[in-house]
Amino acid sequence: MTSRDRCDDEPEKGKGKKNVTDDASVSWRKRKKHFFVLSHSGKPIYSRYGAEHKLAGFTATLQAIISYVENGGDNIRFVRAGKHQVVFLVKGPIYLVCISCTEEPDDALRGQLELLHGQMLVILTKSIDRCFEKNKKFDMTPLLGGTEAVFSSLIHSFSWNPATFLHAYTCLPLAFSTRQAAGAILQDVVDSGVLFAMLMCKHKVVSLVGAQKASLHPDDMLLLSNFILSTKSFRTSESFSPICLPRYNPMAFLHAYVHYLEVDSYLVLLSINSDDFYHLKDCRIQIESVLVNSNVLGEVQKSVQDGGLHVEDVPVDSSLRSDSPSPHPGQGRAALASRIGGPAGLWHFIYRSINLDQYVSSELSSPLNSSRLQKELYRAYQKLYVSMHDRQIGPHKTQFRRDESYVLLCWITPDFELYAAFDPLADKALAIKICNRVCQWVRDLENEIFLFGGSPFSW
Amino acid sequence: MGCAASVPDKSARQASSLNSEPLAANDPKHIRVKLVLLGDSGVGKSCIVLRFVRGQFDPTSKVTVGASFLCQTIALQNSTTVKFEIWDTAGQERYAALAPLYYRGAAVAVVVYDITSPDSFHKAQYWVKELQKHGSPDIVMALVGNKADLHENRRVSAQEAEEYAEKIGMFFIETSAKTADNINQLFEEISKRLPQRQSS
Repeated sequence: MTSRDRCDDEPEKGKGKKNVTDDASVSWRKRKKHFFVLSHSGKPIYSRYGAEHKLAGFTATLQAIISYVENGGDNIRFVRAGKHQVVFLVKGPIYLVCISCTEEPDDALRGQLELLHGQMLVILTKSIDRCFEKNKKFDMTPLLGGTEAVFSSLIHSFSWNPATFLHAYTCLPLAFSTRQAAGAILQDVVDSGVLFAMLMCKHKVVSLVGAQKASLHPDDMLLLSNFILSTKSFRTSESFSPICLPRYNPMAFLHAYVHYLEVDSYLVLLSINSDDFYHLKDCRIQIESVLVNSNVLGEVQKSVQDGGLHVEDVPVDSSLRSDSPSPHPGQGRAALASRIGGPAGLWHFIYRSINLDQYVSSELSSPLNSSRLQKELYRAYQKLYVSMHDRQIGPHKTQFRRDESYVLLCWITPDFELYAAFDPLADKALAIKICNRVCQWVRDLENEIFLFGGSPFSW
Repeated sequence: MGCAASVPDKSARQASSLNSEPLAANDPKHIRVKLVLLGDSGVGKSCIVLRFVRGQFDPTSKVTVGASFLCQTIALQNSTTVKFEIWDTAGQERYAALAPLYYRGAAVAVVVYDITSPDSFHKAQYWVKELQKHGSPDIVMALVGNKADLHENRRVSAQEAEEYAEKIGMFFIETSAKTADNINQLFEEISKRLPQRQSS
């Protein structure tokens, strides 16, 4: 082993080609969550850890397992081996496998594999399947050259972005009139022949307009924004790139004009015509001047600084406030004034509007202030989501769950879903009361936190 | 690569290209030129453009997706200005089939390779052939050996590249986006070789 090999064995964060480890190395085996994509002939296409070409033996084994079950006229979905779960997803000639010891539900992991496949389609379209029809041993890796950051960023988002399991998008909070001003100019350019116009701030929507009858699926928005945010070259200059939205049309490329207006704010204009660049560029110039003149970009910056909803701001009357348990009993009023979290020990919530395909979540704050705790909370929500939407015994309406880390409460109605996390010592009746307050609060603020009208989802 | 078959003649090519605006404005003193950069991934196309347009060099590699669009104007000694509208294309294999989208109607093609990589030199020859077949007939082509600062690791000799360029009838230069060596010379030399549009 050369010194280079040894040094590459060290865990490292997204610098250059991951490493040259293979399945025999200890560090590779210690990873908690592996993702693999392979072809139906067993050729490696993508691996989260390790160099693909060194994992050919391993992916051949995975392929053998899948085809053994397929030959028996069945499909393999899930295997448990000690602490590890192995989840399989077959998408035509492309096989996706997740091996994990994170105790996430297998349905949640399968959803993540679906998104991983979707991300591949964003880059290549589903017409890639034809290459495998022509040549069973087709090697797909060269076609994915330079896209590692896109996949690692998507996999990372499985542990911080609720959109990955809620299948909904979220908006940057803005005054109704500000969002309307942005929507109006986007509507103008869509009327001039643009298919979709999106103004985004990181992964949050500022405004979004689609052509008549064209609707944008929240999963496509997630995959598109992940693709743009994880590709550094978009920040350098205006770009024009073929892109596929798998839920819109998995077989065809659209043409995306991407331009950053501010540090984190970017405009995406999608067209079906490959020769639309100059038109889209003109549209951008028009949009940018309107956004600057009406100070929309200034408002966007302000909203980013102010942050979103804070649990501390949930409005409650005095009777609830005095009842709320102090996290440090005996410290009296002083402790109450500087107490951690919101009323009744509310730590965090996510509200998903079913009709709008949008969600809003409170800012993560103390005591959930490490990324490890945040990841754990999202995994707990994800588990809750899966158990509430269980196809065999669900769907359920409410769930109250208490363990050593939190009280989790979920409430699903035909209009919305609410996920809330409380202090593990929170009182049940009080927690339910607070959930009602949160829902009322969100409805009071809906004009600022959700996108209405002009959106493809409003009929 | 299937795209090529759908380009029957020059007029149709211009109509269906990223070139809905005229190649060069009528004003003979202010020339506008569409320029496309082609070449293998990692040879430094974006670095050449960013050095030329912004005078910057960023050693961290940023993979280009699709194509980036940048403009830069230079003034020539005879008081004409040339505005380059530059298409910096992605070098990845998956974009090869889409390249005609960017090079159709281009007045200038800059084909870049890395002097430390013979593979990238072969790829450059592929692009030259592609342009001869499907590019504009009067396209000005430049062959650029980039990363000239890494001469210790050189694996493509300047002589070999020079001979190849001469055979094709294209302009050849070695550059370093890192040290800025020959970057401006490249674009100035291109300007001199542009067909005199005012006479046509």
